[in-house]
Amino acid sequence: MVTLGTRRDAPRTRGPVDSRGYRIFRIVNTIVLIGVVIVTLYPFLNIVARSLSDEAYIIAGKVTLVPRGFDVTGYKLVMSDAMFWTNYRNTVVYTVVATLISIVLTTCYAYVLSKPQLKGRGLLVGVALFTMFFSGGLIPNYVLVTSLGMKNTIWAVVIPNAISVFNLLVMKAFFESLPTELEEAAAVDGLNTYGILLRIVLPLSKAIIATMVLFYAVSFWNSWFTAFLYFDRQDLLPVTVYLRNLIAGATSAESAAADADKVQAAATFQAVTIVLTTLPILAVYPFVQRYFVSGVMLGAVKG
Amino acid sequence: MFRKTWRRVALASAGLLALSLGTACSEDPSDSTDLSENRAGAMADYGVGDQFKATEALSFSTLYNNHTFYPLKDDWLFWSELTKRTNVKIEPVAVPLSDYEQKRSLLIGAGDAPLIIPKTYHPQENAFVSSGAILPVSDYLDLMPNFKDKLTKWNLKPEIDNLRQSDGKFYLLPGLHEKPTQDYTVLVRSDILQELNLSVPKTWDELYTVLKAMKAKYPNVYPYSDLFSKPTPTGALLNILGASYGTQAGWDYQHATWDPAAKKFIYTGASEQYKQMLTYLHKLVAEGLLDPESFTQTDDQARQKLANGKSFVVTGNAQTLVNNHRPDLAKTLPNAKMTKIPLPVGPAGEINPFPRLENGIMISSKARESKNFVAMMQFIDWLWYSDAGLEFARWGVEGTTFTKDASGKRTLNPGVDFLGLNPKAPKHLQKDFGFQNGVFAYGGNPDLVRGFFSPEELEFQKVMDARTPRAVSPPAPLTDEEREQVSLWETPLKDFVAQNTLKFALGQRPLTEWDAYVGELKAKNSEQYIDLVNKAYERFQKNNG
Repeated sequence: MVTLGTRRDAPRTRGPVDSRGYRIFRIVNTIVLIGVVIVTLYPFLNIVARSLSDEAYIIAGKVTLVPRGFDVTGYKLVMSDAMFWTNYRNTVVYTVVATLISIVLTTCYAYVLSKPQLKGRGLLVGVALFTMFFSGGLIPNYVLVTSLGMKNTIWAVVIPNAISVFNLLVMKAFFESLPTELEEAAAVDGLNTYGILLRIVLPLSKAIIATMVLFYAVSFWNSWFTAFLYFDRQDLLPVTVYLRNLIAGATSAESAAADADKVQAAATFQAVTIVLTTLPILAVYPFVQRYFVSGVMLGAVKG
Repeated sequence: MFRKTWRRVALASAGLLALSLGTACSEDPSDSTDLSENRAGAMADYGVGDQFKATEALSFSTLYNNHTFYPLKDDWLFWSELTKRTNVKIEPVAVPLSDYEQKRSLLIGAGDAPLIIPKTYHPQENAFVSSGAILPVSDYLDLMPNFKDKLTKWNLKPEIDNLRQSDGKFYLLPGLHEKPTQDYTVLVRSDILQELNLSVPKTWDELYTVLKAMKAKYPNVYPYSDLFSKPTPTGALLNILGASYGTQAGWDYQHATWDPAAKKFIYTGASEQYKQMLTYLHKLVAEGLLDPESFTQTDDQARQKLANGKSFVVTGNAQTLVNNHRPDLAKTLPNAKMTKIPLPVGPAGEINPFPRLENGIMISSKARESKNFVAMMQFIDWLWYSDAGLEFARWGVEGTTFTKDASGKRTLNPGVDFLGLNPKAPKHLQKDFGFQNGVFAYGGNPDLVRGFFSPEELEFQKVMDARTPRAVSPPAPLTDEEREQVSLWETPLKDFVAQNTLKFALGQRPLTEWDAYVGELKAKNSEQYIDLVNKAYERFQKNNG
């Protein structure tokens, strides 16, 4: 008669006992990392608390982690500004389009570079690396983008920075670590190059692609400089420039000294905009994070 | 193979560079004075008091500094009314206020600048002069009758001469003020003055006695705890204190100060006046009257100290008083009263140090080639310098945004708010109409400049008007090579002076070491600097005097 084993019968699977040194390391590690968490989390929580506080408490320096004199007029005010939403929508559109373009281009470039049999591979890598160390400079870049007719169009922000060389190299290292036998087998079964990339390599690369999406999306979401350079109309700007201008308007020494009509933007107003701007990226991060960790490792520890 | 490729790339880029340099240098500037090709749309006889109206519909691109508080709107009455009156449409190139200067440099450098470039503070235009990208406007003043008229009427020639470059021309059209409107001064808790039976201090020495009395009553308080520690520590206090001592310090620091007695320039940071000013400042710190943290704390910290009764005196102006300190105090100490006192008088006597020129307009050199050039200069002259244009940019349209009584006194319409004058009004003069716009409204007579001042502020200005404007130093424009040379000296000198100003004030370095400090300045080329400036002064006198 067969008796099914109960849980009690299962062999005890405790791993090897940690050494003393390792235990101490873990304790120290935990303490240090908790410190890091506090240092990074506190300013953010403080901003959130400020955004929900009455201004009198902020000026009196009484707001730390908990909102004082709960007040959401800041949110109402920012959300009632049509330009904020226009700029917000721009940021979303730019980020999505730019990330899409970047991922397609980076994947194609990296995949090609990972093939040792490619002729002129050294040159192609050199071309990419060259841009890492030398650039044309601000004005030549501006002249280039302008004469290509991209000024005041979405292309000015999504094309020029489409390939990040760092990301390209990480991805190339990842593709190189994939066993060539898989692709050879696929080729024997009759797949052409594109088939191999789309049906064999990419499904195996979800982790690295998720990582790249995160890298690119965060950097495009946060970027403001290219948009500031190439856009002459405020309804084209991303929300980062809106935020930057809001803060500068309240703090610039020049306007304090010279502008008689300067009006201080309220402290809450700034905090509210910061919270609203960082929120979406914060919301997405936890879902991509598990890929993120494995993705970075996969690229780094190349077989 | 790899190495060969690199060499090829290097060669190609070198060739490209040479090519672009070659083309950049081959442009030849056209400085013909013949304007017959450029009169399209211009008025044949346009003079002082005339309403400018282009004879055909024109549009001019303009760099626009987009302010957070009144973001650009296309439906502003300002635009439509401007076009109605002048037949000119302004095409704004909107730049966020946060990075206006950077974008301006970029656009001028890339040859993509709009024709009209407002909001330029002297000497920012110096950077663009040698490239030939901006127009020597002094050559075309004959097209600007209102500008010339105000220049003579308000006796602004010495100020304007200071804008001249080594070629004797100037490249910036500044905002012109009939009278200086000093803004920054000392703000004092007047209820504390009353409590201690003290009168309002008239001089810096009296202010010292007042602070002393405050300290005696409240030993745990630093009576003076200042804001504006950035970018120069206590820049605002040093600015007004320096002016009262006949020197230039803080925000206003200039390396060379004119010495009228010796008829030459001296190095500011090594001058006797600067030493006296530091002696006074050190006395305040040493006796616990000026908070040592004034030199480092953030503005918010200083605001909080004042709001919580931990200090009684700060440097500030009407805006910081009305927008920050009074509302802060109302929330924390309802019985407190804060007032702006007339700028304390120092050894330099009763002077009003405020400059009479404001930020101004540069014109792109491209404009000179346009067939509408004359019309554009007339338009600029009307909008920025004619009485009608100045009133329009500040107050708007009579009947719609404001009314004028028989004596010429202007009043805002009840439906329009500005500076909280009609807080319930549905529309705002800046946000909804586009007037009082920092890009278009600067300069004017006191009537216009101070049109929205409170009675309290007008009283302050009345006291200040009775003082003599600060004498303007003679022009000493440097050539390009000289400017390059001094820019190498300027930063180390400025840093050194700022550091030691702080050390002397805080007592980290005793004032008995002054001579050693002057010696260290010389080691940092302060004498060569002044020699160069004095040479430039003599050269300018010879060529233009």
